Amino acid sequence: MSLGTHHGGHEGGVQANVGEIVTVADRVRGAIETVIEGKPEVLRVALTVLLAEGHLLIEDVPGVGKTMLGKALGRAVDCSVQRIQFTPDLLPSDITGVNVYHQDRHEFEFNPGPVFANIVLGDEINRASPKTQAALLECMEERQVSTDGQSRTLERPFMVVATQNPSDMEGTYALPEAQRDRFMARVSVGYPAPQAELDMIDAHSAHSPLDALAPVTNAAHVRDLADQVRSVHVAPGMRRYIVDLVNSTRTSPELRLGASPRATLHLVRAARAYAALDGRHYVVPDDIQALAVPVLAHRLLPSPEAGMERLSAEQIVAKLVSRLPVPGPQ
Amino acid sequence: MRALPALMPTATLVSLVTAVPLLGTVVTGSGWWFPAVAMMVGAAAASALYRLTGWSATAVPFLQILVMTLLLTPLFAAHTAVLGVVPTSDTFLELVRVLERGIDAVDTGTPPVTGTAGVALIIAVAFGVIAMAADFLAVTARCPGMVGGLLIALLAVPLVVDDGGVAPGAAISASVGFLALLAVDVWLRGREWGILVPDGRDLSTRFLVGLRRTAVVGVSVAAAVLLALTVPLAVPSLRSDVIHQAADGTYIGNGPNGITIMDPLVSLRSNLNADSNRTLFTYTTDAEEPDYLRTHVLDEFDGVDWTMTPVEADRDSRVGDDLPLPTGWSGEPDGPTATTRISMDSDALGPDFLPMPYWPRSVEVSGEWYADPESLVVFTTDSPRTGLSYTVESASVTLSADELAETGRPRSVPGSFLWLPDDVDPRVAELTETVTEGADSPYERAVALREHFTQGDFRYDLSPPQVPEGGDPLVHFLLEDRVGYCQQFAGAMAVMARQADIPARVATGFTPGQRMGDGRWSVSTGDAHAWPELYFEGVGWVRFEPTPTDGQETATVPDYTEGEGVGEPEDEETERPETEPSADDERENDEPTDGPEGSAAPEDEETDETAAGADTESDSGGWAALVWLPVVGALLLVALPALARIAVRGSRTAALTGGSAAVAAHAAWRELRDTCLDLGVAWDLTESPRATAARLAAREAVPEEARAALWRLALGEESARYAPEPAAAPGAREDLRAARAGLVAAGGRGARFRAVLLPRSLAPWHRPRPDVRPAPTAA
Repeated sequence: MSLGTHHGGHEGGVQANVGEIVTVADRVRGAIETVIEGKPEVLRVALTVLLAEGHLLIEDVPGVGKTMLGKALGRAVDCSVQRIQFTPDLLPSDITGVNVYHQDRHEFEFNPGPVFANIVLGDEINRASPKTQAALLECMEERQVSTDGQSRTLERPFMVVATQNPSDMEGTYALPEAQRDRFMARVSVGYPAPQAELDMIDAHSAHSPLDALAPVTNAAHVRDLADQVRSVHVAPGMRRYIVDLVNSTRTSPELRLGASPRATLHLVRAARAYAALDGRHYVVPDDIQALAVPVLAHRLLPSPEAGMERLSAEQIVAKLVSRLPVPGPQ
Repeated sequence: MRALPALMPTATLVSLVTAVPLLGTVVTGSGWWFPAVAMMVGAAAASALYRLTGWSATAVPFLQILVMTLLLTPLFAAHTAVLGVVPTSDTFLELVRVLERGIDAVDTGTPPVTGTAGVALIIAVAFGVIAMAADFLAVTARCPGMVGGLLIALLAVPLVVDDGGVAPGAAISASVGFLALLAVDVWLRGREWGILVPDGRDLSTRFLVGLRRTAVVGVSVAAAVLLALTVPLAVPSLRSDVIHQAADGTYIGNGPNGITIMDPLVSLRSNLNADSNRTLFTYTTDAEEPDYLRTHVLDEFDGVDWTMTPVEADRDSRVGDDLPLPTGWSGEPDGPTATTRISMDSDALGPDFLPMPYWPRSVEVSGEWYADPESLVVFTTDSPRTGLSYTVESASVTLSADELAETGRPRSVPGSFLWLPDDVDPRVAELTETVTEGADSPYERAVALREHFTQGDFRYDLSPPQVPEGGDPLVHFLLEDRVGYCQQFAGAMAVMARQADIPARVATGFTPGQRMGDGRWSVSTGDAHAWPELYFEGVGWVRFEPTPTDGQETATVPDYTEGEGVGEPEDEETERPETEPSADDERENDEPTDGPEGSAAPEDEETDETAAGADTESDSGGWAALVWLPVVGALLLVALPALARIAVRGSRTAALTGGSAAVAAHAAWRELRDTCLDLGVAWDLTESPRATAARLAAREAVPEEARAALWRLALGEESARYAPEPAAAPGAREDLRAARAGLVAAGGRGARFRAVLLPRSLAPWHRPRPDVRPAPTAA
C-alpha cells in the first residue's frame, strides 16, 4: 500500500504549512537515508510518529539497525537525545532522575534522568524489569515526571523510540499489552535488501555515517510542524471509517483483545501526520490503510483459534482493513 | 398506534370483499354474497381483535373456525336456534339439508346458478376458508403477495364455468383491493423498518433513480403486454377473439370456452363424397312438405370460400324456450307452425350445430345450446353426443312471388351482407350485370340470377374438374367449365346476389331427405346440401335453390323463387357476357348506384395475376403488422438496456459541467464505476479511489493517457469525498472520455458487446456491496 508519489500540485487548496511539512520531512528523510538505506516505509512511519507526537516501538532481531534508526532521527533533528540501555537491574530512578541532598546547601536538588530529552532512545526495553518499564511508560503517557510529589513537565517534542527484541528471545520480559498500547506505532526494520546491504558495506567501512549526519531541522521547528499537523482535515466519513475499523478489531472472533479508544486517537493523529507528509491537508482511506498495521497490530491479541491458524495480528488487521468499505460520497 | 396489528387483517378483509363480485357472472340473484361477506368479516374481526392482544398467532385459525361456525347458525338456520343464535340439535341437520340442496343445485344446474340458500352456504364456507388462508398468508406469514394466488383461484371459477368470463368491473375491483392490501403492507413495513429513500441531494441522482424506476416499470409492462400477445398465439386454447378473428375464420365462441369446428364446406363435401350413403338422422314432422334442415350459415366471402363469422356462446344467446325473432320480422307470424322431432342416429356422433327446419321458433333439447340471433343456427360448446333427440317448432310461412316482388331495397340488415372483397374478378360483376339486366326489383334480380344457373348450361357434378393452379375458382365455375355441385352453385349465386345489391349468405345443411314407409323422414350423408339465402325487406332471409335438381335429387325448388312471370326468357341468352358485351347508356347510368361492381368495372383490364398479387399484398399487409408488432417490441426490449444506459451516461456527462466540483467528480467516478461493471471488471468498495485507479491502470492494454486520466479522476473523487473544500477538476469530461476509452479498449470483444447490450450497471444486484456491514457505533 505504497503512496510513493506526491500530488501536491493537484489539490488546489493546499495550505502552506503542508508544503513546509513535506519539505522538512523530505530533508529529514534524506538525512536519515544516508545512514539507513532502503527502508522508506519504516522512515515514513517514524516521521509520522514524530509529527504526531507519539512514541515509536521498533521490534526486530538484533543487529538490523534499530538503534541506528533512533540515533539517526535524533541527529537529523537538532534536539536533545538521550539513550537508555535497558538492563534487568535498571531502576526507575535511573530513568526519571533522583533528588540528591546537598549537604552544604541543606537542600535536595533534582538530578534529571535521561528521560528529560526530546528524543529518548530506549534500547532493548524488554530487558528491564516491569517496574522500570512502567516508569518510562508513565512518562510517555503523562509527558511529565513526578518525583517526591513534584511534577516536572517534559519538553516538546517528546518522543520515545524504544527497541525491543522479539519476546521469545532469551532474557526478555515481554511488554504487557497495556504498555504496548502507549506506543503509537510499532515497526519492524527488517533485513536490508541485498543492494542496500552492499551499499551499507561501503558506507560503513571508512567511518560511521552517523558522525557525518548534520541536523536539518530543530526541536522548535518540529514543535511548530506538529502543531500544524493537528489542523489536517478528517472528514466525517473518515472518522466513521476509523471508528468502524477499530470497532471491527473488537468484534472480530480472531482477536482476543481489540484496540482501545486510545488506539482510535492514535490512529487519527497518525493519519493526520501521514496525510501531511504526503502533502495533503485531508486524510484519505489510503492513510488509514497504510497505518492500520503499524498503529493497531501491536495492541491486539489474536485468539487461540487464530493462533492455531498461525494468523499474526498483522495479518488479521490487514484482513479487517481489506473488508471494510471505504467511505463513499457524502 | 396501538391499533396497528389490526390493520393487516382489515386490509386482507377488504381485498377479499372486493373480490366477491368475481363470482357475479356465475351466481344470479341477490343476497347470495351476504353470508360470504359476513363470514369473512367474522374471520377478520377474530384475527384483528386477537392480534391486538399480542399473543401467539397460532391460535388465530382456531378462533376463526369457531367464530365462523357460530356464524353459520344465524345465517342459515336461524329458525332452528334459540333466539336465532344458540344452535340446537336441529341446527346441524338443517345446515346439512341446506348444504345438500346447494350441492344439488350446483350439480344439476348450468351456470349461472341461482343464488339459493344452499349455494350461498357453499360460497360462504368457501370464502370462509379463503379468508382463513388469506389471513394466515398476509398477516401471520406476512406475505400479502401470496393472497394474489387465492384471488387468481377465485378468478378461475368464472373463467372455467361461465362463457361470459369475468365482468370488467369485478376484475378491476379485485385488482384494486389486492393493490390496496400490498400498499398497506408496504406502508406498515415502512413504519416498522424504515423505507429506503434514494439519496436525492442533487438533481441528477434523483433523476437517475426516477429513470431507473421508470425503466423497471416500463420493462415490466412491456414484458406483460408482450406475453399477453404472444402466449395466446402459441397456446391455441388461450386465443382471444381479437387475435383469432384476424387469424382464423372458423373459430367459434369467445374466451377460453370457444370451440373450433370443421370448415362447414369441407365437411359438406366429404359428406357428399362419402361412399356409403349413411343415414345421419331421422325425423317426424307434421308439415306436409318439409323444408330444408339448416346447420350452418356462412356469411363471409373471402374471394374463394364462404366462411362463418364466429358465433358467440354467452349467457344472452343461450337457448331458452323461444328462439330470437328472425331478422326482418316485426313479430310472430299468424300462420301455422310445424313440429319436427329429430332423432340423431345412435351410432353417429351428434352435431355441434343442430339441423333445424326454417324458420325455427323454439327448440327443446337437453344440454347447453346457444342460438345465434342473426342466423338462428343453434350450436353447443360441449363435445357432441350420440343419440341426441330434439324437437323444433318452426313457422310455416307461405311466401308468394308477389309478396317478394313488392319488397323494396333492403335496409334492416347489416351492410356486411353486401360486402365482397375488392379482388373479386370484375368479369363476375360484368356477368351479374348482364344477367340482372332489365330486372328492377331485388326479387326480379334474384329470380334472374337463379334462372341463370338452372336454365343455363351448368352441369351438376360431385367431382368438378380441378381449377388450374392460380386460377380463380369462382371465375372458373361461372365463366369457364360451369361444372360443380351445390357448393359452387350456392356460393356463386350468393356472390352475384350481393353484387346485385341483395343481401346474401350461404346456408349449409340437409335437404328433407327420403320419406320412409312409416311416415318418418330419413336424412343421409348424400342429402348434405348448400344453398343461398337472400334477404328481402319485410320478409327476411329466403331460401333460393340454384342447384339443378337433377343433380341433387332430394332438392326442392320453392315456388316463390320461380318468378311471377317476370323471369325473362332472354336471361338464357344473356348468360355469357361475351355474347352481349354492351348495354345501353341508360343502363350504364344506373349501374353505379346499384352495386359495388360499378367501381370494379374500370379494372377490367387488369389480369388475374396482378389482381392476385394485389390480394396477397393487401392481405399480408394486415398480417405484417401483426408479425412486426412483436418483432419491433422485441427489438425495443433488446435495445432498452442500452438506451437506458446511454440516458444514464448522458445525465452524468451533463453533471460534469456546470455543477459543483464534488457533483462533477462523483458523477465522473460513478460513470467510471458503471463502465467497469458493464465490462465485467471488478469494483471493490473497500478500495480507495486512488487504489482503484492504480489497479485499473495496471491492467494490460490500458493506454498511457487513460492511466493518467484515471489517476486524475481518482484524485478528484478523493478530494470530493474527503477534502474540506473539493478542488475543481476542469478536465473531468476529457479525463472520463479517455479513461472510458482506455478501459473499453482493454476489455475483450465479448465484454464490450455485453457492456453495450446488457449493461450490468443497470442491475442493482450487480452493484458492489460490502460483504460485512460495519457494526453500528454509538457516536
